[in-house]
Amino acid sequence: MDTTTLISEAKARFNHNSAKAYLKDKYDSKFIVADQSGLWRANLETINFLNSSIEEWVIIIDTFDNPVRVNRINLLEKLNETYSKVMNAWHEEWLQLEKKR
Amino acid sequence: MASIREEKMTRGALLFAFNSPKYNYYEMAVSTAKRINHFLDLPVTIVTDSESLPVKQSYQFDNIVMAPADKNNFRDWGLWINKGRYRAYQFSPYDETILLDTDYMVNSDKLLTTFDLPTDFCCHDTTSFLMHPNAVQEMLSVYSFDTLWATVVTFKKTKRAEQIFNCLEMIQNNFNHYADIHGFISATFRNDYALTLATRIVNGHTTLVEDVIPWNLLHVGKNTSVYRNNDDEFNTEYTVMFDNWNRGKIRKEYITIKDMDFHVMNKENFMELISE
Repeated sequence: MDTTTLISEAKARFNHNSAKAYLKDKYDSKFIVADQSGLWRANLETINFLNSSIEEWVIIIDTFDNPVRVNRINLLEKLNETYSKVMNAWHEEWLQLEKKR
Repeated sequence: MASIREEKMTRGALLFAFNSPKYNYYEMAVSTAKRINHFLDLPVTIVTDSESLPVKQSYQFDNIVMAPADKNNFRDWGLWINKGRYRAYQFSPYDETILLDTDYMVNSDKLLTTFDLPTDFCCHDTTSFLMHPNAVQEMLSVYSFDTLWATVVTFKKTKRAEQIFNCLEMIQNNFNHYADIHGFISATFRNDYALTLATRIVNGHTTLVEDVIPWNLLHVGKNTSVYRNNDDEFNTEYTVMFDNWNRGKIRKEYITIKDMDFHVMNKENFMELISE
Protein backbone atom coordinates (compact mmCIF):
# COMPACT_ATOMS: atom_id res chain seq x y z
CA MET A 1 0.00 0.00 0.00
CA ASP A 2 1.42 3.40 -0.92
CA THR A 3 1.77 5.96 1.85
CA THR A 4 -0.86 8.34 0.44
CA THR A 5 -3.50 5.60 0.65
CA LEU A 6 -2.20 4.58 4.06
CA ILE A 7 -2.60 8.12 5.39
CA SER A 8 -6.04 8.43 3.89
CA GLU A 9 -7.30 5.07 5.17
CA ALA A 10 -5.90 5.65 8.65
CA LYS A 11 -7.47 9.14 8.62
CA ALA A 12 -4.13 10.38 9.91
CA ARG A 13 -3.60 14.06 10.59
CA PHE A 14 -0.43 15.87 9.66
CA ASN A 15 1.33 16.91 12.87
CA HIS A 16 2.73 20.31 12.11
CA ASN A 17 4.59 20.75 15.39
CA SER A 18 6.39 17.41 15.10
CA ALA A 19 7.30 18.21 11.51
CA LYS A 20 8.73 21.56 12.59
CA ALA A 21 10.71 19.89 15.37
CA TYR A 22 12.06 17.31 12.92
CA LEU A 23 13.17 20.05 10.54
CA LYS A 24 14.94 21.91 13.34
CA ASP A 25 16.68 18.70 14.42
CA LYS A 26 17.70 17.94 10.86
CA TYR A 27 19.12 21.35 9.99
CA ASP A 28 20.59 22.28 13.39
CA SER A 29 23.22 19.60 12.96
CA LYS A 30 24.22 20.86 9.54
CA PHE A 31 25.53 24.16 10.93
CA ILE A 32 28.49 22.35 12.48
CA VAL A 33 31.81 23.13 10.81
CA ALA A 34 35.21 21.70 11.74
CA ASP A 35 37.92 24.16 10.73
CA GLN A 36 41.34 25.37 11.91
CA SER A 37 41.48 22.86 14.81
CA GLY A 38 38.17 23.97 16.26
CA LEU A 39 34.53 23.04 15.94
CA TRP A 40 32.17 25.87 15.02
CA ARG A 41 28.51 26.61 14.58
CA ALA A 42 27.64 28.71 11.59
CA ASN A 43 25.35 30.96 13.61
CA LEU A 44 24.68 34.67 13.39
CA GLU A 45 26.61 35.49 16.55
CA THR A 46 29.87 33.99 15.29
CA ILE A 47 29.42 35.29 11.75
CA ASN A 48 28.65 38.80 13.00
CA PHE A 49 31.67 38.82 15.28
CA LEU A 50 33.97 37.67 12.49
CA ASN A 51 32.42 40.25 10.17
CA SER A 52 32.83 43.14 12.54
CA SER A 53 36.41 42.39 13.52
CA ILE A 54 39.25 43.93 11.52
CA GLU A 55 42.13 41.71 12.68
CA GLU A 56 43.55 39.06 10.36
CA TRP A 57 43.84 36.57 13.24
CA VAL A 58 41.36 36.40 16.11
CA ILE A 59 40.96 34.12 19.09
CA ILE A 60 37.45 32.85 19.65
CA ILE A 61 35.79 30.16 21.76
CA ASP A 62 34.67 27.12 19.78
CA THR A 63 31.74 24.83 20.59
CA PHE A 64 33.97 22.81 22.92
CA ASP A 65 34.71 25.98 24.90
CA ASN A 66 38.31 26.02 23.78
CA PRO A 67 39.95 29.30 22.74
CA VAL A 68 41.22 28.84 19.19
CA ARG A 69 43.33 31.22 17.11
CA VAL A 70 41.86 31.41 13.64
CA ASN A 71 42.33 33.19 10.37
CA ARG A 72 39.24 35.38 10.47
CA ILE A 73 38.56 35.65 6.74
CA ASN A 74 38.95 31.91 6.08
CA LEU A 75 36.60 30.96 8.89
CA LEU A 76 34.12 33.67 7.95
CA GLU A 77 33.97 32.41 4.39
CA LYS A 78 33.33 28.84 5.53
CA LEU A 79 30.67 29.82 8.06
CA ASN A 80 28.94 32.15 5.61
CA GLU A 81 28.84 29.44 2.97
CA THR A 82 27.50 26.85 5.41
CA TYR A 83 24.94 29.25 6.87
CA SER A 84 23.41 30.23 3.57
CA LYS A 85 23.46 26.68 2.18
CA VAL A 86 21.73 25.22 5.24
CA MET A 87 19.25 28.07 5.69
CA ASN A 88 18.22 27.91 2.04
CA ALA A 89 17.58 24.17 2.28
CA TRP A 90 15.71 24.57 5.59
CA HIS A 91 13.58 27.39 4.18
CA GLU A 92 12.73 25.39 1.08
CA GLU A 93 11.60 22.42 3.12
CA TRP A 94 9.73 24.63 5.55
CA LEU A 95 7.77 26.15 2.65
CA GLN A 96 6.73 22.65 1.60
CA LEU A 97 5.64 22.02 5.16
CA GLU A 98 3.57 25.19 5.29
CA LYS A 99 1.60 24.02 2.25
CA LYS A 100 0.33 21.07 4.28
CA ARG A 101 -1.31 23.34 6.84
CA MET B 1 67.52 6.92 -1.94
CA ALA B 2 64.60 5.82 0.12
CA SER B 3 61.27 6.43 -1.51
CA ILE B 4 58.77 8.56 0.32
CA ARG B 5 55.31 7.05 0.27
CA GLU B 6 52.38 9.06 1.43
CA GLU B 7 50.09 6.72 3.31
CA LYS B 8 46.42 7.57 3.20
CA MET B 9 44.35 6.89 6.28
CA THR B 10 41.87 4.14 5.57
CA ARG B 11 38.23 4.66 6.47
CA GLY B 12 35.40 2.21 6.74
CA ALA B 13 32.36 1.06 8.64
CA LEU B 14 32.00 -1.91 10.97
CA LEU B 15 28.78 -3.81 11.68
CA PHE B 16 28.15 -6.58 14.21
CA ALA B 17 25.43 -9.00 13.10
CA PHE B 18 24.50 -12.17 14.96
CA ASN B 19 21.14 -13.66 14.12
CA SER B 20 18.78 -14.45 16.95
CA PRO B 21 15.85 -16.87 16.68
CA LYS B 22 13.59 -13.88 16.15
CA TYR B 23 15.57 -11.47 13.97
CA ASN B 24 17.86 -11.81 10.98
CA TYR B 25 20.59 -9.34 11.82
CA TYR B 26 22.72 -10.45 8.88
CA GLU B 27 19.99 -9.35 6.48
CA MET B 28 19.73 -6.03 8.30
CA ALA B 29 23.51 -5.64 8.03
CA VAL B 30 23.45 -6.25 4.27
CA SER B 31 20.85 -3.55 3.77
CA THR B 32 22.71 -1.11 6.02
CA ALA B 33 26.02 -1.91 4.31
CA LYS B 34 24.55 -1.12 0.88
CA ARG B 35 23.32 2.22 2.18
CA ILE B 36 26.73 2.94 3.74
CA ASN B 37 28.38 2.21 0.38
CA HIS B 38 25.88 4.41 -1.42
CA PHE B 39 25.62 7.43 0.89
CA LEU B 40 29.01 7.43 2.64
CA ASP B 41 31.11 5.74 -0.05
CA LEU B 42 32.81 3.61 2.62
CA PRO B 43 33.70 -0.09 2.62
CA VAL B 44 31.97 -2.22 5.24
CA THR B 45 33.36 -5.00 7.41
CA ILE B 46 30.95 -7.33 9.13
CA VAL B 47 31.53 -9.29 12.33
CA THR B 48 29.33 -12.35 12.39
CA ASP B 49 29.27 -16.08 13.09
CA SER B 50 28.84 -19.20 10.98
CA GLU B 51 25.20 -19.59 12.04
CA SER B 52 24.33 -16.12 10.77
CA LEU B 53 26.37 -16.16 7.57
CA PRO B 54 24.26 -17.54 4.70
CA VAL B 55 25.81 -20.13 2.40
CA LYS B 56 24.96 -18.05 -0.64
CA GLN B 57 25.82 -14.41 -0.11
CA SER B 58 24.10 -11.77 -2.21
CA TYR B 59 26.37 -8.97 -1.06
CA GLN B 60 30.15 -8.75 -0.96
CA PHE B 61 31.39 -7.22 2.29
CA ASP B 62 34.84 -5.63 2.32
CA ASN B 63 35.81 -8.13 5.05
CA ILE B 64 33.98 -10.81 6.96
CA VAL B 65 35.28 -11.39 10.48
CA MET B 66 34.07 -14.60 12.09
CA ALA B 67 33.61 -14.43 15.85
CA PRO B 68 31.81 -16.61 18.35
CA ALA B 69 28.37 -15.37 19.37
CA ASP B 70 27.89 -14.78 23.09
CA LYS B 71 24.41 -16.11 23.70
CA ASN B 72 24.09 -15.03 27.32
CA ASN B 73 21.95 -11.97 26.98
CA PHE B 74 18.18 -11.70 26.87
CA ARG B 75 15.60 -8.98 26.35
CA ASP B 76 11.85 -9.02 26.80
CA TRP B 77 11.52 -10.38 23.25
CA GLY B 78 14.19 -13.10 23.57
CA LEU B 79 17.87 -13.78 22.85
CA TRP B 80 19.86 -10.63 22.08
CA ILE B 81 23.44 -11.18 20.95
CA ASN B 82 24.98 -7.80 21.55
CA LYS B 83 27.96 -8.70 23.71
CA GLY B 84 31.51 -8.52 22.39
CA ARG B 85 31.23 -5.06 20.87
CA TYR B 86 34.49 -4.21 22.67
CA ARG B 87 36.29 -6.22 19.98
CA ALA B 88 35.48 -3.55 17.41
CA TYR B 89 38.90 -2.00 17.92
CA GLN B 90 40.62 -5.32 17.30
CA PHE B 91 38.41 -6.31 14.36
CA SER B 92 38.35 -3.06 12.43
CA PRO B 93 40.83 -3.12 9.55
CA TYR B 94 40.52 0.65 9.12
CA ASP B 95 42.46 3.57 10.62
CA GLU B 96 39.19 5.41 11.10
CA THR B 97 36.01 3.47 11.72
CA ILE B 98 32.32 4.17 12.04
CA LEU B 99 30.82 1.44 14.20
CA LEU B 100 27.08 1.26 13.59
CA ASP B 101 24.11 -0.72 14.82
CA THR B 102 22.62 -2.73 11.97
CA ASP B 103 19.22 -1.09 12.48
CA TYR B 104 20.54 2.39 11.76
CA MET B 105 19.01 3.73 8.56
CA VAL B 106 21.59 5.74 6.64
CA ASN B 107 19.90 8.34 4.44
CA SER B 108 22.60 10.96 4.03
CA ASP B 109 26.34 11.56 4.16
CA LYS B 110 26.07 13.22 7.57
CA LEU B 111 28.10 10.58 9.40
CA LEU B 112 31.18 11.52 7.37
CA THR B 113 31.33 14.70 9.47
CA THR B 114 32.27 12.57 12.49
CA PHE B 115 35.65 11.91 10.86
CA ASP B 116 36.32 15.66 10.90
CA LEU B 117 35.67 16.07 14.61
CA PRO B 118 38.86 16.85 16.54
CA THR B 119 38.76 13.64 18.56
CA ASP B 120 39.75 9.98 18.27
CA PHE B 121 36.52 8.64 19.76
CA CYS B 122 32.99 10.00 19.67
CA CYS B 123 29.41 8.90 20.14
CA HIS B 124 26.00 10.46 20.77
CA ASP B 125 25.02 11.76 24.19
CA THR B 126 21.58 13.09 23.30
CA THR B 127 18.65 11.64 21.43
CA SER B 128 15.43 12.87 19.95
CA PHE B 129 12.42 10.83 19.01
CA LEU B 130 10.45 11.36 15.83
CA MET B 131 6.94 12.59 16.83
CA HIS B 132 8.06 12.97 20.48
CA PRO B 133 9.75 16.39 20.47
CA ASN B 134 9.99 16.62 24.25
CA ALA B 135 11.07 13.10 25.21
CA VAL B 136 13.41 13.05 28.21
CA GLN B 137 16.99 11.86 27.91
CA GLU B 138 17.74 8.39 29.23
CA MET B 139 19.90 7.96 32.31
CA LEU B 140 21.66 4.89 33.69
CA SER B 141 19.50 5.42 36.77
CA VAL B 142 18.09 8.40 38.64
CA TYR B 143 21.26 8.41 40.75
CA SER B 144 23.65 8.11 37.87
CA PHE B 145 24.75 9.62 34.56
CA ASP B 146 23.03 10.47 31.31
CA THR B 147 23.44 7.60 28.87
CA LEU B 148 25.82 7.73 25.98
CA TRP B 149 24.69 5.79 22.91
CA ALA B 150 26.62 2.96 21.26
CA THR B 151 24.44 3.13 18.12
CA VAL B 152 27.01 5.25 16.30
CA VAL B 153 30.64 5.29 17.42
CA THR B 154 33.44 6.79 15.35
CA PHE B 155 36.96 5.96 16.44
CA LYS B 156 40.53 6.14 15.26
CA LYS B 157 43.24 3.59 16.02
CA THR B 158 44.80 5.40 18.97
CA LYS B 159 45.90 4.31 22.43
CA ARG B 160 43.00 6.11 24.08
CA ALA B 161 40.39 4.54 21.81
CA GLU B 162 41.94 1.14 22.51
CA GLN B 163 41.71 1.84 26.24
CA ILE B 164 38.02 2.69 25.94
CA PHE B 165 37.32 -0.61 24.18
CA ASN B 166 39.44 -2.52 26.73
CA CYS B 167 37.46 -0.84 29.47
CA LEU B 168 34.24 -1.80 27.69
CA GLU B 169 35.35 -5.43 27.94
CA MET B 170 36.09 -5.06 31.63
CA ILE B 171 32.65 -3.58 32.25
CA GLN B 172 30.93 -6.29 30.22
CA ASN B 173 32.70 -8.90 32.33
CA ASN B 174 31.68 -7.15 35.57
CA PHE B 175 28.32 -5.77 34.51
CA ASN B 176 26.54 -6.79 37.72
CA HIS B 177 29.09 -4.94 39.80
CA TYR B 178 28.64 -1.72 37.83
CA ALA B 179 24.87 -2.15 37.91
CA ASP B 180 25.04 -2.29 41.71
CA ILE B 181 27.16 0.84 41.88
CA HIS B 182 25.06 2.86 39.45
CA GLY B 183 21.67 1.47 40.35
CA PHE B 184 20.53 0.06 37.03
CA ILE B 185 19.11 -3.36 36.24
CA SER B 186 21.82 -5.79 35.17
CA ALA B 187 19.59 -8.54 33.77
CA THR B 188 20.12 -7.31 30.22
CA PHE B 189 23.55 -6.17 29.08
CA ARG B 190 23.42 -2.80 27.37
CA ASN B 191 26.32 -1.54 25.27
CA ASP B 192 25.03 1.99 25.81
CA TYR B 193 25.50 1.69 29.57
CA ALA B 194 28.88 -0.03 29.29
CA LEU B 195 30.08 2.63 26.86
CA THR B 196 28.90 5.42 29.17
CA LEU B 197 30.94 3.98 32.01
CA ALA B 198 33.97 3.05 29.90
CA THR B 199 34.43 6.52 28.42
CA ARG B 200 34.04 8.11 31.84
CA ILE B 201 36.63 5.81 33.41
CA VAL B 202 39.18 6.35 30.64
CA ASN B 203 38.60 10.12 30.71
CA GLY B 204 39.28 10.37 34.44
CA HIS B 205 35.69 9.90 35.58
CA THR B 206 34.30 12.68 33.49
CA THR B 207 32.73 13.10 30.06
CA LEU B 208 34.76 15.05 27.54
CA VAL B 209 32.64 17.31 25.35
CA GLU B 210 35.01 16.49 22.50
CA ASP B 211 33.82 12.87 22.64
CA VAL B 212 30.26 13.80 21.82
CA ILE B 213 28.80 13.88 18.32
CA PRO B 214 27.36 17.39 18.17
CA TRP B 215 23.84 16.50 17.07
CA ASN B 216 21.05 14.30 18.35
CA LEU B 217 20.70 10.62 17.58
CA LEU B 218 17.26 10.33 16.02
CA HIS B 219 15.20 7.39 17.25
CA VAL B 220 11.99 5.92 15.96
CA GLY B 221 10.39 4.89 19.22
CA LYS B 222 7.26 3.28 20.61
CA ASN B 223 3.88 3.66 18.91
CA THR B 224 5.68 5.00 15.85
CA SER B 225 6.04 3.32 12.46
CA VAL B 226 8.01 4.37 9.43
CA TYR B 227 6.96 3.66 5.83
CA ARG B 228 8.94 4.15 2.65
CA ASN B 229 7.46 6.72 0.30
CA ASN B 230 8.70 4.80 -2.71
CA ASP B 231 10.35 1.49 -3.54
CA ASP B 232 13.72 2.79 -4.72
CA GLU B 233 16.56 0.83 -3.14
CA PHE B 234 18.10 4.03 -1.83
CA ASN B 235 14.89 5.83 -1.01
CA THR B 236 15.36 8.68 1.49
CA GLU B 237 11.75 9.79 1.90
CA TYR B 238 9.55 8.30 4.56
CA THR B 239 6.19 8.77 6.21
CA VAL B 240 6.28 8.51 9.98
CA MET B 241 2.99 7.47 11.56
CA PHE B 242 2.33 7.88 15.27
CA ASP B 243 -0.49 6.52 17.43
CA ASN B 244 -1.36 9.39 19.71
CA TRP B 245 -3.34 8.01 22.65
CA ASN B 246 -5.75 10.56 24.06
CA ARG B 247 -8.59 9.79 26.50
CA GLY B 248 -8.58 6.13 25.58
CA LYS B 249 -8.70 6.79 21.84
CA ILE B 250 -5.98 6.56 19.24
CA ARG B 251 -5.53 9.47 16.90
CA LYS B 252 -3.20 8.73 13.99
CA GLU B 253 -0.74 11.49 13.22
CA TYR B 254 1.97 11.63 10.60
CA ILE B 255 4.87 13.61 9.24
CA THR B 256 7.08 13.09 6.22
CA ILE B 257 10.86 13.14 6.46
CA LYS B 258 13.67 13.01 3.94
CA ASP B 259 17.49 12.79 3.82
CA MET B 260 17.63 12.18 7.57
CA ASP B 261 19.39 9.25 9.26
CA PHE B 262 17.44 7.48 11.99
CA HIS B 263 17.68 4.52 14.33
CA VAL B 264 14.72 2.14 14.30
CA MET B 265 14.13 0.56 17.69
CA ASN B 266 11.32 -1.63 16.43
CA LYS B 267 13.11 -4.44 14.56
CA GLU B 268 9.94 -5.61 12.77
CA ASN B 269 9.54 -2.13 11.36
CA PHE B 270 13.17 -2.08 10.23
CA MET B 271 12.73 -5.45 8.48
CA GLU B 272 9.65 -4.08 6.70
CA LEU B 273 11.62 -1.05 5.56
CA ILE B 274 14.40 -3.10 4.03
CA SER B 275 12.22 -5.80 2.51
CA GLU B 276 12.01 -5.69 -1.28
